[in-house]
Amino acid sequence: MTLPSERLLPRLFLILLVAVLALAGWQWRHGAPLSANLMELVPGSTPDALELKAEQRMQEPLNREMLVLVGHADRQTAVAVAQQLGERWQASGLFEKVQWNLQADLPALREQLLRGRLAMLSTKDREQLIEHPDAFIQQRVQALFDPFTGFSLVPSQDDWLGLTGRIQNSQPQQGSVQLDIGSGALIADADGKSWVLLRARTTGNAFDMKLPLQVADLLQASRTQASEQGAQLLAASGLLYAANGQQQATREITWVGGGATLGILLLLLVAFRRWRVLLAFVPVLVGVLFGAVACVALFGHMHVMTLVLGSSLIGVAVDYPLHYLSKSWSLQPWRSWPALRLTLPGLSLSLATSCIGYLALAWTPFAALTQIAVFSAAGLVGAYLSAVCLLPALLKGVELRPAQWPLRIAECLWLLRASLLKRVPSPFLLAWVLLFCAGGLWQLNSKNDIRQWIGAPPQLLQEAQAVARITGFQPTSQFFLVRADNQQQLLERQAALGQRLDSLVNMDKLQGYLALNQLVNLPAEQQQLRDALNQLPQHWQPLLDLGVPASALQAEVAQLQALPTEDIDAALVGPLAEPWRTLWLGPVDGGVAAMVSLQGLNNPTLLRVQALDLPGVQLVDRLGDLNRVFADTQISAAELKLMSCVLIVLLLILPFGFGGALRIVALPLLAALCSLASLGWLGQPLTLFSLFGLLLVTAISVDYAILMREQIGGAAVSLLGTLLAALTTWLSFGLLAVSSTPAVSNFGLSVSLGLAFSFMLAPWAGHQKHAL
Amino acid sequence: MRVLILFASLILSLSAHAFDLQQLSDQLAKPSVIHGTFTQEKHLRALPQPLVSKGTFVLAKDRGLLWLLKTPLQQDYRISTQGIARRDANGWQPLPNKSAGAEQNRLFLAVLQGDSSGLQRDFDLQLQGDATQWKLTLTPRSLLLKQVFTQINIDGGELVQTIQLLETQGDSTVLRMQDSTAGQPLSEAERHDFAQ
Repeated sequence: MTLPSERLLPRLFLILLVAVLALAGWQWRHGAPLSANLMELVPGSTPDALELKAEQRMQEPLNREMLVLVGHADRQTAVAVAQQLGERWQASGLFEKVQWNLQADLPALREQLLRGRLAMLSTKDREQLIEHPDAFIQQRVQALFDPFTGFSLVPSQDDWLGLTGRIQNSQPQQGSVQLDIGSGALIADADGKSWVLLRARTTGNAFDMKLPLQVADLLQASRTQASEQGAQLLAASGLLYAANGQQQATREITWVGGGATLGILLLLLVAFRRWRVLLAFVPVLVGVLFGAVACVALFGHMHVMTLVLGSSLIGVAVDYPLHYLSKSWSLQPWRSWPALRLTLPGLSLSLATSCIGYLALAWTPFAALTQIAVFSAAGLVGAYLSAVCLLPALLKGVELRPAQWPLRIAECLWLLRASLLKRVPSPFLLAWVLLFCAGGLWQLNSKNDIRQWIGAPPQLLQEAQAVARITGFQPTSQFFLVRADNQQQLLERQAALGQRLDSLVNMDKLQGYLALNQLVNLPAEQQQLRDALNQLPQHWQPLLDLGVPASALQAEVAQLQALPTEDIDAALVGPLAEPWRTLWLGPVDGGVAAMVSLQGLNNPTLLRVQALDLPGVQLVDRLGDLNRVFADTQISAAELKLMSCVLIVLLLILPFGFGGALRIVALPLLAALCSLASLGWLGQPLTLFSLFGLLLVTAISVDYAILMREQIGGAAVSLLGTLLAALTTWLSFGLLAVSSTPAVSNFGLSVSLGLAFSFMLAPWAGHQKHAL
Repeated sequence: MRVLILFASLILSLSAHAFDLQQLSDQLAKPSVIHGTFTQEKHLRALPQPLVSKGTFVLAKDRGLLWLLKTPLQQDYRISTQGIARRDANGWQPLPNKSAGAEQNRLFLAVLQGDSSGLQRDFDLQLQGDATQWKLTLTPRSLLLKQVFTQINIDGGELVQTIQLLETQGDSTVLRMQDSTAGQPLSEAERHDFAQ
């Protein structure tokens, strides 16, 4: 006999499925809507648009630039290899610009120096000219006789006072690379080798899906080629981390997804001994489809990390069909629709509690978890619907004769438990468990760091460190943001900050910094110089003695005094200003803003103090902020967990009564507590991710408690059902523990532990008396 | 007779040809210490007279060069592989190692010590004359160097006698080394100056 609903439900579901498939096809019309940008996943803790803009400006080179050092014991060979490499890379089409030698634009440099003689003169030189004009002239005379000062860009007759030479000499040194004047290459000497610096700027950024991999391949090929010539390559770039992350994610999706799928299929075959039972995998596929569609619909795209963590959905989604398939051990003959009707209330409750658990994740400030929550909740709904509407129709007419040995194992376990309970009553066991928990929690320590998100291989890190050591380029992610009403005030504020930073540099706490006030003097200071030039004729006799015509000197002073006062925009024109150009944010919100970048920092807390009581100065420390958010989120996550439990209790009161509901929710909580304790015993840190993992376990293991409490088909059959469900879930989540991304593996470990404890504790859910 | 002249000139050209860069290098690298006086003329395009200064120098193999300016002003310099230093009241002060300047000083040392391999990297070298009277012409190869020097001329016999640096800007410097002697060892004070 076929009920009308048994005919209608599959058809309705098929219509829905076709609609969702069509939507998915439309979403994928321009290729996979995937994203690999890590920064999209972390909490949006930057409310300020300017701060965000500044941050993007500072991040951009990290995501697009690659620093490569070509090392060889022989300088010439190193230069030659670098040249070949540069030409090859330029021809690859992956890079917008590959630069291995400096072809300085000397005329432009000269023009900038001459124009900036008042605006760019360093504080020290300015003070000497104003306060000790005799010494200033004396030094100029010395310099004219000095055969070793190096060539001056500007000929003496254009700059008798030698201001351009002083500006050239006071430029902050950029790292420890030196210009090889023969080849124009930038070379650093270290470890008995000459290292030629090559900078490459890619056409796209690190979050492009293809580019990082292509760049990493090219680098690998170049490495091999260079080593044939006896040269060594060291590379550092955000792109390489991105490439590595992508390869890793792909590998892990394959392993986790593939492993879980294979394991689950095998389990189904071994337990139920029918090929058609493999159709139980249909809800899983439908679940992944629903999850992906919902994710793209809500967020515009799906992150790779969501896919990795979401692949564990497989294990949960397969639980729905398992619920009624496992009834075949007691319900003989087994028929799909009646088995479903028997387990439907349990299934629906289980969907509701799981969704509550997953959606609790959505309220954390982590975009990553919101995505995973949406993906999983939508996926579960899809899996549930297909398990309820479609699968029974597909399995219609199948007679399940499952293998008997799993049942015997379950019976054995049940007897074992009974004999244990005879010797040690439950309250004593509980006391023991609580003792175990207390001991473990005592040893548990918490650790949160954004670096847990990145499973960078040590080789990449070592190379980046070597590049930083050899070149002296050690950019830090922290920087100062300085705001002011106008340019004058901005430069004053930067100068005040600069004084503090100078003392840090002198104490070796900071390697250096770049600020706009190093490039351009305040308008008032430029005026002081103009005034001071008036008194110079009284002091320049030594120059006249050398034969410098007085008329030439007078003409020069007149020319200097006529130089217009330079503002920041004017000072930024010209090749010398290049290092500073990114620092200027220009006019914003009725004022102006600029950044101060830092090099080689070893104490972030010290930096925070520098900004204290300096108006308009703010330290932007994204990493530090993130780590703080991590710690804060840990607390809010715990609160969310408790709230979700309250919700689940409310939901369960209806079928199980208050006492039963409380008991069903208490078990997963106890399991979570045991997992926490185990982490402590194992010496593993508690991270935000392990906490999220436990949050999930609560949601999933409520299922097991419900299953055990319902006891449809007897205790042993229910235990077997729970065991199967836990095994499949563990197959997918547990595999995450092998991930090389610390965050993901931490998540996998805590879920695995949680599942094991949930399974062990589930039989204490009690027994619900059914009306039937 | 004509044959004889031809033969003589052939021998002469052969011997002249035989004086090559390697021999010049060996010859200049032979003495371990050279003492001498110098006259330095800086010809600035805009000045009618050159800036002339005088002093003494000490070139010590493997140590470097002491360049002691005496008139019209007193100033001591030291160039070594570590870079350039200037003496003030507190002793030797290393000068900021500006990349281009440092490179020029490396060149200077290479010229004085006859390190032709060091020079060949960056310049085309042309050698004329024989061991007792030669002239070496350096023409820069790279674009960057060409923007600084048009040519460097070095004259000498047993030792370097004159160095002429022609800058692209139109200025030039002539260094004349006179009374060079190779016999005298380093004095205690000079040894001390190199050691610091």
